[in-house]
Amino acid sequence: MIGRHSGFPDRQALNGLVLALLAAWLLAAFSGSLGLSPRLLLGDWPTPLDWQVWWQLRLPRLLLATLVGAMLAGSGAAMQGLFRNPLADPSLLGLASGAGLAVALWIVLFDASGPLGLYGQFAAGFLGALAVCLVVFRLGRGGPGQEALFTLLLAGLAINTLAGAFGGLLAFLASDEQLRQLSLWGMGSLAHALWPAALGALLCIPPALWWLCRCARGLDLLQLGELTAHGAGLDAPALKRRVVLATTLGVGVCVALAGIIGFLGLLVPHCLRLWLGPGHRLLLPASMLGGALLLLVADTLARTLASPAEIPVGLLTSLLGGPYFLWLLMQRRRSC
Amino acid sequence: MLTLEGAGFTTVPALAPLSDALAPGELVAIVGPNGAGKSTLLGLLSGFRPPEQGRVCLDARPLADWLPEALARRRALVAQQVRPSFDWTVRELVALGSEAGPAQVAESLAELDLTALAERTLTGLSGGEAQRCMVARALCQLDGGDPGSLLLLDEPTSALDIGQQQRLMRLLRRLADQRGLAVVCVLHDLNLAARYAHRVWLMQQGRRIAAGPPGEVLGAGRLARVFGAELHEARVAAGEPPALVLAR
Repeated sequence: MIGRHSGFPDRQALNGLVLALLAAWLLAAFSGSLGLSPRLLLGDWPTPLDWQVWWQLRLPRLLLATLVGAMLAGSGAAMQGLFRNPLADPSLLGLASGAGLAVALWIVLFDASGPLGLYGQFAAGFLGALAVCLVVFRLGRGGPGQEALFTLLLAGLAINTLAGAFGGLLAFLASDEQLRQLSLWGMGSLAHALWPAALGALLCIPPALWWLCRCARGLDLLQLGELTAHGAGLDAPALKRRVVLATTLGVGVCVALAGIIGFLGLLVPHCLRLWLGPGHRLLLPASMLGGALLLLVADTLARTLASPAEIPVGLLTSLLGGPYFLWLLMQRRRSC
Repeated sequence: MLTLEGAGFTTVPALAPLSDALAPGELVAIVGPNGAGKSTLLGLLSGFRPPEQGRVCLDARPLADWLPEALARRRALVAQQVRPSFDWTVRELVALGSEAGPAQVAESLAELDLTALAERTLTGLSGGEAQRCMVARALCQLDGGDPGSLLLLDEPTSALDIGQQQRLMRLLRRLADQRGLAVVCVLHDLNLAARYAHRVWLMQQGRRIAAGPPGEVLGAGRLARVFGAELHEARVAAGEPPALVLAR
């Protein structure tokens, strides 16, 4: 067994996740409503259509699934460290729905078509997530106590409800075309991943992930409480600014591209923490790899289970994450 | 080493300006009733809350001018009753925030009788064991403690049984006497302060009202006024400060 008590070096856990991710990539690359032969890799192209499907549709989609999965799970791990709370997650805390509302506003109020529209969606997602994060952060300060936890979850619930209500209002105001765009995007799906979206994600998400990994030591120290962490050399306000900026940028872009894909940020870091321990130096990159792996597998299932139709991947992750969250709450209740 | 030059806070929780100097090898106990400003003073000494008047300097340099990492190698802090979030093992926790290698981690664990618990997670520990972990972590951060390092502790004995209290206070005294650390310790137990401290600072309502050797500061009459408690002094041994006992 690889893990915190097994004596295996940390690197082997990460290597294992990288190998699993590569395997999932290979599986995903050649599965779908149009089954493609792995011989494609050797340059043996069966038809121009196969090549077009693979290059124009499947490759950007795999890239996007990997980046969005890594970002959501990495953000979850970082936010749990920042709030010192294992239940912090971009969707539970309302960050994703804040970003979602801002993106919906952008779609309804402005012309959201074309690459400029896409990057406008990125900006709207980032600003929406940032606004919610600042509100939640003010409410949820005060460590891992039960009171802070309830405040956090209630704030997330209130923001999710508000965003849902305003989202409904926007749907009411939207034109038929905007309404179609809103509902497809809102379910959480990678079905519309094309190269402009994948390139946008490549531009924004890897820097945010790198930035989060650089915060690992600070997040570890923060678990000691702000006073002790300060004594150990941590500039806590600077760390918080960095983590908030990186997570809101990343989550905003993910929501703009793929809608709200829930529970990934809760599920992946929590499982990996049980396995690898709470140290962020290992947990952050492992969560990113694990999130990419899970979303890639979920998206492959979403594409193939009801082929040629597609299940929105957000529904699949919620089906997986919802029961897990309930189980987690029951475990906490038992331990209290 | 650490000097306070009229340093204090004007906003709540306020602290009257204070001037003093801590020397290497000195163990200072801060005592006083609840809300007297003991933890506020510790925040001032650690640099967590920069002074609103005066200044606090380490080696003649204001604390704010130190790089956080450089300051962390010279000064460590054990806060009051911290329960770190998430389930760290004792060894992981002790190594947190330090650049020390495994040998120093092992030494710090041994100093605090934690070697047998090293692979246990914090969830399974008692309050006192967790408290000792935090002291071991601070020691490890200082790399065992060079002369001139500063160790600040906020009520480190509050969850310890009397045996552990004695071992911890003896360790702190040894760190001061033998390794030349300056140790500042907020204590509620006046007898521990009397037994182990070189100097005692007595706080009341955000002001230091007395400072000096325990025998001079911890008189039953003065303490009765400050704490509003009736106390007796009991002679223990020649040359030792009297024990303070609550009247029935």
